[in-house]
Amino acid sequence: MKAESHSEVLVAAGDGLARLKSQGVSLFASGLSLFLMVLIGVPVVMVILMSLRTGFPGETVPLTLANYLDVYANPRTYQVLLNTLFFAVTSVSVALLITVPLVWILMRTDIPLKKTIYVLLTIGILIPVFLRTIAWIILLSPRIGLLNKWLQQIFDLAAPPFNLYSLPGMAFVQGISFVPGAFFMLAAAYRSMDPSLEEAAYTSGVGKLRTFLKINIPITWPAIAAVMVYLFMTALAVFEVPAIIGLPARIIVLSSLIFQSTSPNTGLPDYGMAGAYGAIMLLFGLVFAFLYVRLVKQGKKYTVITGRGYRPREIALRSWKWPALAFVFFYLSIEVFIPFLVLLWTSLLPYLQLPSADALSLLTFKHYLEMPAHVGVKPFINTLILMFAVPTLTMLLSVLVSWVVIRTQVSFRGLLDTLAFVPHAVPGILMAVGLAYLGLSYRDVFPLYGTIFIIVIAHTINWIAYGTRTTNSVMIQVHRELEEAGRVAGASVPRVLWKIVLPLIAAGVLNSWVWIGLLSYREVTMALTLYTRNNVVISTVVWQFWGSGWVPQVAALGVILILFATIVVGTVRVVLSRIGEIGEAS
Amino acid sequence: MANSKLLSVFGLAAVLLGASVEQATATPVDDLIAGAKKEGVIEFYGPSTLGPEGAKELAGAFNKKYGLNIKLNFNASGNMTRDIGKVVGLSASGQPPEWDIMVVTDSHHGSLWFRKLHKTFDYKSLGVDPKIIEYDNGVISIANQFALPAYNKKILPAKDAPKRWEDLLDPKWKGGKLGVTSSVHHFARLAAGPWGEEKTTDFVKKLAAMQPTLSRAGEMAQRLLLGEVLISATMQDSQLHESAQQGAPLVFADAVQPVVSPEYHVGVLKGAPHPNVGHLFTVFMSTKEGQQLWEKHTGHSSAYVPGTKAYQFIQGKTVVYMKQDQAQLVDKLTRQYGKVFGFDN
Repeated sequence: MKAESHSEVLVAAGDGLARLKSQGVSLFASGLSLFLMVLIGVPVVMVILMSLRTGFPGETVPLTLANYLDVYANPRTYQVLLNTLFFAVTSVSVALLITVPLVWILMRTDIPLKKTIYVLLTIGILIPVFLRTIAWIILLSPRIGLLNKWLQQIFDLAAPPFNLYSLPGMAFVQGISFVPGAFFMLAAAYRSMDPSLEEAAYTSGVGKLRTFLKINIPITWPAIAAVMVYLFMTALAVFEVPAIIGLPARIIVLSSLIFQSTSPNTGLPDYGMAGAYGAIMLLFGLVFAFLYVRLVKQGKKYTVITGRGYRPREIALRSWKWPALAFVFFYLSIEVFIPFLVLLWTSLLPYLQLPSADALSLLTFKHYLEMPAHVGVKPFINTLILMFAVPTLTMLLSVLVSWVVIRTQVSFRGLLDTLAFVPHAVPGILMAVGLAYLGLSYRDVFPLYGTIFIIVIAHTINWIAYGTRTTNSVMIQVHRELEEAGRVAGASVPRVLWKIVLPLIAAGVLNSWVWIGLLSYREVTMALTLYTRNNVVISTVVWQFWGSGWVPQVAALGVILILFATIVVGTVRVVLSRIGEIGEAS
Repeated sequence: MANSKLLSVFGLAAVLLGASVEQATATPVDDLIAGAKKEGVIEFYGPSTLGPEGAKELAGAFNKKYGLNIKLNFNASGNMTRDIGKVVGLSASGQPPEWDIMVVTDSHHGSLWFRKLHKTFDYKSLGVDPKIIEYDNGVISIANQFALPAYNKKILPAKDAPKRWEDLLDPKWKGGKLGVTSSVHHFARLAAGPWGEEKTTDFVKKLAAMQPTLSRAGEMAQRLLLGEVLISATMQDSQLHESAQQGAPLVFADAVQPVVSPEYHVGVLKGAPHPNVGHLFTVFMSTKEGQQLWEKHTGHSSAYVPGTKAYQFIQGKTVVYMKQDQAQLVDKLTRQYGKVFGFDN
């Protein structure tokens, strides 16, 4: 009797402790949700608020619909919307036309030089887009494009075959620059694809190309569609290509309008108009985010893409090896080699010139030698702060969110997951404009305008969706038994998280940490929107140089950046070679 | 007791006398120097053509002249219009400006003047020539720019270069061969000056109809160098000066008249964190040492000072200057023309 009552007490105490733990977890999840709601919600609210105001941030003015009236009563807005849609659809198409075969070749076949190609692809993603765009002008401009000139000479053409200053030209350059990112997003799906269907097709005598079109593409379609939607949302927000190629030819897309409104060439900034244009972008973003979530959920239903129990075999390319290599190196040429060579050439000239014997005699290292005087130390320090703080904050928040979403039974965990995904629906430029407006209007409560930390916040918000997708997928692969064992042994929830979960997901987290750090290092749109003299980073310096016409200096800095990225990526690959490859977690 | 009272009165009188003598001998420049010593630093915003070396030399000469050790932080302009917008935006939200002084064009300073965003000072009391003081003691004119059509002489033969502004409307420049920079205030100055609004607006519309290549001035210089654009409707001599330093072949179509001459003004911003250094530096820019260094690094000098390069350049030419009373119209037309060309919404 005594023993029974003792065990009852123990059970009751155990229940109480479990309830207490559960309440603690709920409380923690509530706090985390609230924090994310504020972090993500406030800049979005600012965008909406500024769309309903005229005048400058900080001025007390009544709310009005005047900005919406100005924007939506203007037929030009609809032309811009059409341009934006065409640009986004075409650039995504270009990206996928290259990415899907590339992923298949590298993930499913025995193509040689795989590791080298991975490194080159990684470097490709790190070459700032606007530096590549400048290189493309030198190649494909209708007047001076080297490629155009060569083709005209070879085929005796009366007019240049390519016009970069067009919507297709813009989409081509943008699409090419999307490929490495899309590659790493699709790689996981192809890597874990069940090979049995492929093998059945080959056994039945079906050719490689037909198998690729009839088997590989259909079974990875949800993953391809999800990447498609993701890229489409990104294409709506990108700014560099529309600014460098679009604006000179008066081809305006939504992101150019928003940037022009906050940084006009004539007159003063009009945040209200930026907000009204941003509202369309926000709407697009939300619709496509919804589509993306649905596609990803649909993808999970495909049992052939589980990654469990399969050891995919590589397909022997045999004589197809050379065409496959040619395709991969053709892509790498237009993505990495040619832009790099153009930058290297430009960086060694006293002023921008096309290749000639005259120009060759003028080569100099002066722009490299003068770089410290031109750039100074501050941009490097600020960039290092970004590269360390942004991935650390992003991954910290992502691990915590994923732990609640994947590992707990908190009733609102779905809401928290959605909340962490919302930033992906808000284009970066809009998030930055919202933060700038917040900093300018409410300095007392948000005294970060003009500091590097406002860019840290913008970047963290921007990549939290990516971070949580990664940590969700990594955490789901770690079996609960290990944590349960830890809890049975009496470890507290934070201790289990710290001692058991984190070490198990460390490789994935570290991969994403590096990845986000490098993305933050090359990002320019948000940094430019938020930039002041105190928070200047390398990417904004490059942009300023370009604006001042210091192209050889831009090129020299670009070459330095690429070499720096190569060293970082190479080192990271060596360090992480035993625990995973870059992008594997995504 | 009476003696002690008398002594006190004499003592007080001596103190007051001493103080007034001191007041009489301390000149405004001494006050500025004393204030500058305490501030120790200046945030200087200026054209990128000055370069970090030029800024360093200016700071050195300034410190030598006034016996100071002020640290000059040079903030090179990437986009003057955007940065003027930032100053206005920061002021509207009650925040101090990022810079103490700005060297920008007269039309950019005009935008600040309308909104009373200068910290004024009696520059005349420091010996500055009243002819170069503008915007109600807000700024000093330090140099003249010149804007004309420009081209790459290695690509476009001089005989094909325009001889008159109207030659820019020749259909041979269609198809992106003609460029227009975002400095559309050059046309607004013609409108406020000799051409009048109607003629200039008509010219601008015809120019826009030719679908020119649009870009910022620095970028346009590169497009001219590459040969992507054959003629830029306007280009400032600062770009030409910078190109010449690199051995690049950009030149003015110098038969074209009238010559547009924006002026570089320097002024202290309202709410500037270091106003004393700011005012002192503003004055320094009008001195012989300041002018020489400015010309050395930017290629610009004052057209009002006989013997300077700018003075020599304008001889025999019709030049369009902008006066304070034209600032409002130039501002309005600049925005209008920006929209006509497609630079802004």
